[in-house]
Amino acid sequence: MLYVFIRVMIGSIFLVSGVGKLISPYQNFLYVIQAYQVLPSWGEVLTAQIFPWIELIVGVFVFLGLWTSWSVRAALVLFGIFVVVVGQALIRHLPLESCGCFGGWIHFKPQTVIVLDSISLLLTFLLLRSLVLTKKFSLDSYFD
Amino acid sequence: MNKWLSTLVIVLALVGLIVGAKVFLAHKKVEIDWQMARAKGNPQAHVKIVEFIDFQCPACAYGINFLKTFIDKHPQDVYLQVRYFPLTNMHRHAMISALYSECAARQGKFWALDDLMIPQQQQWAQLISPEPIFRAMAQQAGINLDQLDTCLASDSARKVINDEKSLGQSLGINSTPTYFINNKMVVGVKSLQDELKNYFPGS
Repeated sequence: MLYVFIRVMIGSIFLVSGVGKLISPYQNFLYVIQAYQVLPSWGEVLTAQIFPWIELIVGVFVFLGLWTSWSVRAALVLFGIFVVVVGQALIRHLPLESCGCFGGWIHFKPQTVIVLDSISLLLTFLLLRSLVLTKKFSLDSYFD
Repeated sequence: MNKWLSTLVIVLALVGLIVGAKVFLAHKKVEIDWQMARAKGNPQAHVKIVEFIDFQCPACAYGINFLKTFIDKHPQDVYLQVRYFPLTNMHRHAMISALYSECAARQGKFWALDDLMIPQQQQWAQLISPEPIFRAMAQQAGINLDQLDTCLASDSARKVINDEKSLGQSLGINSTPTYFINNKMVVGVKSLQDELKNYFPGS
């Protein structure tokens, strides 16, 4: 049950994060991306419009346990990206007041976020290591 | 129902829910308030900017400085209005700085106080109470301190600020600075500069 709980929690994180960004104008998330100074301008606009959908779909799939091995891998990649992006912002001392992770709903300082993302990355790795347990009470187990 | 079909149904349902939510929450357009004291530039200008700011926001300070220079270069082509959007959950002096600004505006001294408050933002942002420094700025800006105190003690200034923040939230704003350039929303100074290039290609 612990693995199911972790799976639902990780799925919920992405679900809330994706919804928070999608229901507000994309310009808000574009501003967040610009603050991290990682992408060229065209990449920032593209990411601002597409990334929240990726978060939402990965979140729902992980939450429901659908295509679990792929959606958990996708979640792992996403957390990896977050750790790298936030980490480089901290190393470069970029003036970030909030991570912008959940749209306008919740504000976390980047220092807090990198810790939370690192823990989430480890938990997601655990889910991937024990897919049989992760897939309990999942849509995958219904279809398989 | 097989797994692929279920996946498709779930994805389509998600898209439908989000699109439906966005239609339901469709944001209003910002109206220009022609009586506002917190404005500068030419009211007949073809580029009208409404700016939502938090006076303790460093990016807002950068934006204000950028726009001052820009309007000085294009005095007939730009009209700027400032609205309040204090991020009180992030900036402890967001509301008090907005209150002083609103009370200064009521004496026609909004920009005079702004010219003092913004350059010293880093200093007063770190203070436990910025009010002594704000009072000194107010005096320097030629603001009547008795009228200032009356304004600060009243609820009306706070109501204006809260009403503008509510308006901003209904427009989909959740960070500052947010600008509406001829009603097109952009967030942050970089996007502001990119959008202004569409109107002033040489700038």
